[in-house]
Parts: sequence; structure tokens; C-alpha cells
Amino acid sequence: MFCKVAGIFVYSDQADIAREIIGFARLNGRQSVVLTLGEKDAQALQNAGADKIIAIKGESEMIENYAQAIAVMLKDESAELFAVGATPRGRDLAARVAGYLDCAMVSDIAAAGFEGDQIVCTRMMYGGAVQQTEKLSGLSVITIPPGKFATAQGEASILSLELPADNRVSLMETAPIVKEGVDLSKAEKVVCVGMALDKAEDLQIARDLADVMGAELGCTRSIAEERHWLPVESYIGISGAVIKPKLYLSMGVSGQIQHVYGIRDAGLIVAIDTNEKAPIFKAADYGIVGDLYQVVPMLTEALKK
Amino acid sequence: MSQVIACYKWVADEADIRINADLSIDLSKAKGKISDYDKNAIEAAIQAAAVLGGKAVGVTFGTSDAKPSLKDALSRGLDEVCYIKAQEASQADGAATARALAAAIKKLENVSLIICAEGASDTYSRQTAPRIGAFLDLPVVTSVSKMELTGNTLTAVRKLDDCLQTVKVDLPAVVAVLPEINPAPIPGLKAVLAAGKKPVHELKAADLGVDLSPLSTISEIKGYIMDRKNIIFNEGDLAEQVKALVAALRKEGVL
Ligand SMILES: Cc1cc2nc3c(=O)[nH]c(=O)nc-3n(C[C@H](O)[C@H](O)[C@H](O)COP(=O)(O)OP(=O)(O)OC[C@H]3O[C@@H](n4cnc5c(N)ncnc54)[C@H](O)[C@@H]3O)c2cc1C
Repeated sequence: MFCKVAGIFVYSDQADIAREIIGFARLNGRQSVVLTLGEKDAQALQNAGADKIIAIKGESEMIENYAQAIAVMLKDESAELFAVGATPRGRDLAARVAGYLDCAMVSDIAAAGFEGDQIVCTRMMYGGAVQQTEKLSGLSVITIPPGKFATAQGEASILSLELPADNRVSLMETAPIVKEGVDLSKAEKVVCVGMALDKAEDLQIARDLADVMGAELGCTRSIAEERHWLPVESYIGISGAVIKPKLYLSMGVSGQIQHVYGIRDAGLIVAIDTNEKAPIFKAADYGIVGDLYQVVPMLTEALKK
Repeated sequence: MSQVIACYKWVADEADIRINADLSIDLSKAKGKISDYDKNAIEAAIQAAAVLGGKAVGVTFGTSDAKPSLKDALSRGLDEVCYIKAQEASQADGAATARALAAAIKKLENVSLIICAEGASDTYSRQTAPRIGAFLDLPVVTSVSKMELTGNTLTAVRKLDDCLQTVKVDLPAVVAVLPEINPAPIPGLKAVLAAGKKPVHELKAADLGVDLSPLSTISEIKGYIMDRKNIIFNEGDLAEQVKALVAALRKEGVL
């Protein structure tokens, strides 16, 4: 046994989220045992306040391939909870471990805490229209998005552990994604474009407005992922960036719930759209019903004065 | 003949959800739909089945409300649908859903590939593919933005936060595709007419031999309301509206 009392086992491929999950364990008076793939990631978390760090060694470079071995370990260690950073890799690992354990799992929690032995989690449903609270008993799995908990401090000992990997999926090639966009979560003003734009060159209309406003440029998921006109980190919403600028201004964005989830905490929301019934107007403080190709250049001119 | 499975879910359209003054939610006006991204999973299964020379089979776990999904799914080009019709679906969590789907898939022969979407538009839990993989002890590849089949080998590109990974796996396998994998065409009239003649296999909870009760207990459900000013500038021509907007933003002190 690595920890003397039932504790929280932690994994995230992003060290910042791992630190926050350790903070979550501390906050709830639980011991934390952090799993990393390799020694390097373990050392990076050594001062993060965990009780123990287990550096996994094995034949695969993909953490997902250790899911079954991790499930066995959690059981053997009488773990109380497996809390994983909500990233693509983390969600995959977490759900696979939950599958092997056939245990309860809550994905992308908005809030989580303990009531006695039970874990109480709140999460969004229907793209953010509905908030659901769930209670979990016994060994369970949750995934935690970044920015939910304060980090902790303190030295942890590192233990190296050989685990068997499931090598049926083999990694052939890794190409890093160079982040081209800005970190929208820190932007004070954001101009957001939607699918109303006819062609990539028309982004200039939005860029011109953003420049006079001193705003960053964001977009809806479809602009980034279907049309590939802006980098992935530029899209806002439940599966993209969650932002809290003082001012958010959208053009040709219908305002579907999944997008609006990402701008809930914006100070002011301004919408420009041809369709007066577009849901974005219900989410907006100010709006103009009109063609962005007309309205936006006029607005840019007006702001230059 | 090999079978390629597309898992899909019939969900309430989130755009039709009404939130009452006490924050309780009203789904009575909500139309059903095949979860948005499941349409991409269905299309991916059809394309994979064509390459493998097999059948594309939809599997869905739903209550009696999910019946209209059958014709919709078949009109998108699936050859058959297996419909697990069970009231338990209305209360299912990730565990129960994966158990139901995996148990139904286990009954099918020569399954070479199981395709799920990234996540359903109602829960967006993103658990189904990995859980089915664990349940059937099959290899899993998630976040797939591109895939290619050569013989019995699948090569996939996974889109992660920090990198693109190219991975290889021998079939059978479970895959979760991102919506960008394909454009999921809208079915034509001919396809809609043909759908009525395609086979549907109905399974009941009792046929599966697995427990379909959820493992988590829902203690509260409440709606979220945006409280915003909702001021539309519609006085005068566009130039005046723009002027009014600029004045309002200056007054708010956000410019
Ligand atoms: C599980 C799930 C997760 C999702 N996650 C996200 C997410 O994180 N982020 C996200 O953005 N989306 C997300 N989506 C997609 C989301 O549901 C919408 O499909 C998407 O946000 C719509 O993008 P849009 O507003 O650019 O396009 P559309 O909905 O096509 O809207 C275009 C708007 O432009 C207007 N318009 C057209 N021409 C003009 C003109 N000349 N001038 C002005 N207005 C014009 C139209 O009236 C319309 O309102 C998700 C969906 C699902 C199912």
C-alpha cells in the first residue's frame, strides 16, 4: 500500500491541473497520490503538496495504455477517488479506468466536494442549459477542468513503479501543436466571429474592429474546426475556451448554448446578427440586428473617432 | 461479413429546453434529435464499412421515445439498426449506457470496428467509447480527427491539446471521432424513402443480461438563466444604431 488511508489518486497530463487537483485533495482533508508517466513529470510535481508521487515506468508512451493496470492498482490501494485533469488524454484514461472498474464517473465537474463518504459533484448538461448534482459512493472517477481549485505546496516522495502496458494501440508519430493564438481566458476584450463570414479574407473586417478596440479575436467552434480559419485555441465555448472579458462582441454568431457557456462570465455581451430571433440576443446586453458586413465597418469607423 | 458499428443517442434538443421561474426545467416542448456529433460517427461508420466491404450497423440505447431515430439513422446510410429499447435509458449514466451498448454489440458477429462520437449533446460526458472498450476489452482510440483503414489495420490521427498523434491499431477496435472527421451529409429524399425498408432489430433490457441501473445518484437538476440587459438598438437607421451602441459602451466604461 502506498498510502495508509484511502486517498485520492490524481493524474493529469498538464502539471497545472495536477497541482490544482492536489489542492482539491488537501482542501477536503484527503491524502493524494499523484500518478505520472515517467520521472520527469514526477519531479515537476515534487513540490506540489502531494503525499506521494508514483512515476509509472513501462513499455508505452501513452498513459491511456496503462488504464487496466491503474484500475487494478486503485482497487488494491483501496483508493477513494481517481481525479483526473479534464483534457482529451485525461478524459480517455479516466473513462477507461472507470470502465475497467465498472464504477461511477462524473465528467468535467463544475464543482466537487465530500459529504461524509460520498462525493458530491455538479456538472453542466445540455451544453450548459442545465446544472446537475450527482452523488457517488465507493471508488469513483471524476475529471476536473483547469481553474477550479487553488494549488498547494509541500514536498512529496517519488516512487518508481513498473506497470504493464496494453500495447495494442501503438504510437507512430507525434507532431506538436504550436499554439498560434492568444490565451483568450486572460483577454480584457474579445471580438468573436461566427459562421456568417463568407470567406477567410473577411476575417479582416473583424480584425479591423478588434484593432481599434484593443481586443483579441475569437470564434465559434465551426470556424476553427470545420473551416480551420483560426487556431483551435481561438474558439470559445463548452469544448473550447471559457472566457471572462470585460467586453465580448460577436458578429454572425447564433449563440447556441454550447458557445454561450464560454461567455457567461463576460462583463458585457454585445451581439450583431441578421436574425433578430438568434439566441445570442437573449444572452446579450446590447445588440444590433443587421448585416455584419455593413454594421461592423461602421462601428470600426465610429470607434476611430 | 464484417460489421462496423455506429453508436448513437436520441436526445432532447437543448435549444427547446425551457427553464421555469423556480429554475426547474421543462423538456415537454423539446423535440428529439440524433445527437449532433453522432451524425459524424454514423457517416464515419458508413465510410469504414465501404472500405472493409462490410455492413454499417447503428446501435442505440433509448426509451420508446427514441423510435423516430431509427428511420433518421437509416436514412443517413446505415444498413441496419439495433435498438435497445428500455425505460432504464432515461436514467442511465455513463456506466449503464456503456454496459447496454457493449452487451448488445457482443451479440453481433464479426464486429471489426465500433465508432462513437466525441460526446453526446445532452450529457457531453465523453465516456462511452473508452468504457465500451474496457467492457469488451478492446483497444480504444479517442479524439480521432482522421482515420484510414488498410487491410485489418487502422491508422488514426488523434487531436490532443498539445499535439497530433498518429497511432496504429489492429481491428477490432473502438474509436471516438471528432466532428471534424467528416461533414455528415444531410440525407436525400431517396435515402429517406429507402430507410423504411431497412431492418431494425429490437432488443429489450432482459435480452442483454446486464444491470442497467445507474451508479451515480442525481440529487438535483436545475436550469441556468442568463440575466442580461437585452437592449436592441432598433431606432433610426443603421448609422444611428451604431452611434447608440458606441454611446452605451462608452457609458459602461468598457471601451
Ligand atoms: C457537444 C457539443 C459541443 C459544442 N461545443 C461548442 C463550443 O465549445 N463552442 C462553439 O462555438 N460551438 C460549440 N458547439 C456547436 C454549437 O452548437 C453551434 O453549432 C455553433 O456554436 C454555431 O456556430 P456559429 O454561431 O458560428 O454558426 P451558426 O449557428 O451557423 O450561426 C451563424 C449566425 O450568423 C448569422 N448571420 C448570417 N449572415 C449574417 C450576416 N451577413 N451578418 C450578421 N449575421 C449573419 C445567422 O443569423 C446566424 O445567427 C457544440 C456543439 C455540440 C453538440
